Amino acid sequence: MTPSPRTLALILGICFALATAASQKNALPGQLPGSNWNRVTFNRDIAPILFHSCAICHRSGEAAPFPLLTYKDAKSHARQIAAVTQRHFMPPWLPEPGEAKFTEELRLTAEEIGMIQKWVDQGTEEGDPADLPAAPKFVPGWQLGQPDKIIKAEKPFVLPAGGSDMYWNFIFRTPVDRTRWLKGIEIRPGDKRVVHHANILVDRGQSARRQEELPGAGFAGMEIKIASETFDPDSHFFFWKPGTMPQPEPDGMSLRLDKDTDLVLNIHLQPSGKQETIQPSLGLYFTDKPATLHPMLVQLENDRQIDIPPGEKNFLVTDEFTLPIDVDLLAIYPHAHYLGREMQALATLPDGSRKTLIHILRWDLNWQAVYRYATPVSLPKGTTISTRYTYDNSDENPANPHDPPQRVVAGNRSSDEMAHLWLQVLPHTLPDSTIDPRTILQESMARRMVRRNPADFEAQYNLGAVLQDRGVPEEALQHFLLAVRIRPEDAIANNALGAALMAVGRTDEAIPIFSTALRSQPDNFDAHYNLANALASQGRFPEAIDHYRAATRLRPEDANAEANLGAALAEAGNLPEAKLHLERALRINPSHELARENLAEINLRLGSRNP
Amino acid sequence: MALDGTATDPLQKSPLKVVVLVFVRTDCPISNRYAPAIQRISAKYEGKAVFWLVYPDKSESAGKIRQHEREYNYTLPALRDPQRVLVKLAQARVTPEVAVFDASRHLAYHGRIDDLYQDLGRARHAPTTHELEDAIQAVLDGHAPPASAPGVGCFISDLE
Repeated sequence: MTPSPRTLALILGICFALATAASQKNALPGQLPGSNWNRVTFNRDIAPILFHSCAICHRSGEAAPFPLLTYKDAKSHARQIAAVTQRHFMPPWLPEPGEAKFTEELRLTAEEIGMIQKWVDQGTEEGDPADLPAAPKFVPGWQLGQPDKIIKAEKPFVLPAGGSDMYWNFIFRTPVDRTRWLKGIEIRPGDKRVVHHANILVDRGQSARRQEELPGAGFAGMEIKIASETFDPDSHFFFWKPGTMPQPEPDGMSLRLDKDTDLVLNIHLQPSGKQETIQPSLGLYFTDKPATLHPMLVQLENDRQIDIPPGEKNFLVTDEFTLPIDVDLLAIYPHAHYLGREMQALATLPDGSRKTLIHILRWDLNWQAVYRYATPVSLPKGTTISTRYTYDNSDENPANPHDPPQRVVAGNRSSDEMAHLWLQVLPHTLPDSTIDPRTILQESMARRMVRRNPADFEAQYNLGAVLQDRGVPEEALQHFLLAVRIRPEDAIANNALGAALMAVGRTDEAIPIFSTALRSQPDNFDAHYNLANALASQGRFPEAIDHYRAATRLRPEDANAEANLGAALAEAGNLPEAKLHLERALRINPSHELARENLAEINLRLGSRNP
Repeated sequence: MALDGTATDPLQKSPLKVVVLVFVRTDCPISNRYAPAIQRISAKYEGKAVFWLVYPDKSESAGKIRQHEREYNYTLPALRDPQRVLVKLAQARVTPEVAVFDASRHLAYHGRIDDLYQDLGRARHAPTTHELEDAIQAVLDGHAPPASAPGVGCFISDLE
């Protein structure tokens, strides 16, 4: 009876889930008025602009501070509308117009901006009521329909009346009792007037909970890292910003939700002048269709270049990555903090042609967003994606968090900097359909990180995990060894190293490594389970049984742990108890072959003992 | 005029050395964001400077203003200024702007509270100048007040 080995763990970086955005827009406003009607009026000229580009937020219950649905609304803010549109502060839309179009573009044309100014200059006339287009219709309540499940943050967060921006994370324990597939998540961030953006991170290992002081209370922090215990390259963005309409995931791209998956909602809040209580909820929409298409996130970053002297107005950070496979680019998420100024991402195709993927002339963290391409951008193998971000660390940048400016390096605090770009890509299938293209992309990204910084623990660990997953444990072992050299006490890395040693047949050496993992983290299920397997394979059944028992206590619903505990008990001669655990394994997973075979064997032996 | 509709002259009413008018609007996100700062500065100069909130929007009723004061924890007296008498006197352009009058009720300073906003949509993490406090202190100390600096906010001229 050989206990079955277990697969490995992988720390992934930030894993977003993706909400598409789509426009719910009326027709574009008409042309400039002709010579015979050269007075700009609200009804004919201004209302179409407001209805099309402003009303999505400027209406009751939405993020904007006042509605812009009627002549009276517009007139009482007319000069302000002219001023904010001329500065391109409103509507908030950072990317420059380019060849690649995004969904839900909220950009006014120069003609529209000029029209508003002219309306103000000419005295904000109302005009002929017959010219007024129908007001836009908005569906009240959940935009995707009644959710299958609504989950509300357990405890509200109280935002103080004053002070600077805050970042808060709510952890939603998902209410599923088995693996389900999500075709959409609608985010209701709470009071939209104080929430600048909200972003869901999928936490499959419940790792964020460790940061909560009280269960359900949430925790502060702008950038959070999710440690994932399983190899899970599915990458979706679920992002909320003012004016974003939630959209279901594209067909085939549902998101797996396991019963112990947490959804972490990271929220950027700005005090409004009065104390606000924020208690977001999520609407979950299930589907019976498991994912058949698996997007991935490609991350470009070069944070090691970030060391910005005080007063520097134009600090440049660049990065590039060459795609090892053909992909379709679905969405893009550029990210820097308060010093970011200009951002550009460019794709240079193998034929030398270039595509601008995104260009932001004046970055503003307050209006950051995930941008989704109206049609996917096809990027063939060999395409190099390059980024150019500039930073303004002078006192002329009003967003500079330091007064006077100070040296700024990379980091997770909002006063640190970042130079990140996430690309959501859908890999094309390979001619050899037995190879998952995701593993090639994953390995390529992991190798790049290791080349860039061999002392990066996560880079070494991730490359090891990818290689182990691909079935090259010899090479995986080298990277896990390096990871453990960087963090000798790390439980997850020691566990992975032990598993790689076992995979190459060096079980004796694996045993003390698993023990190290357990000293650091006595409740590490994987380390108990793997150590038990190692001990069992050496015939050390009583010790193996102890660790299997520990594993089953940690995860009572794990069929493999129950089955192997049963097997080890049988080897140790305790057939009645072995039978109990094998039966339990089969109750958890009725198709567990090993448990079934072992149980049959035990029943035979018990039967022959007691005829 | 006071919220009960009676005519009130904020410049004559107080024996204190300094009178401060703060122009606000219930639906201006920038003046609203200043509520804690306005309240804090008025508390700092309690007994020395009298503060009035001035609502120049005709359509903001006394009830709406009282509700706004409750929501934002204002404890300052409020005035309506539908005829823009105080707006003209204070040379106010946007909400929030302030006007500081000295003991002889001359306009000593008018303009922004501080430099939290560089422009619409361009806020600092914290202000680096404090014109309102400097102006009050200057009047109290008999020094020259700071030069007028325009505020960033919602245009009063947009109102009826």
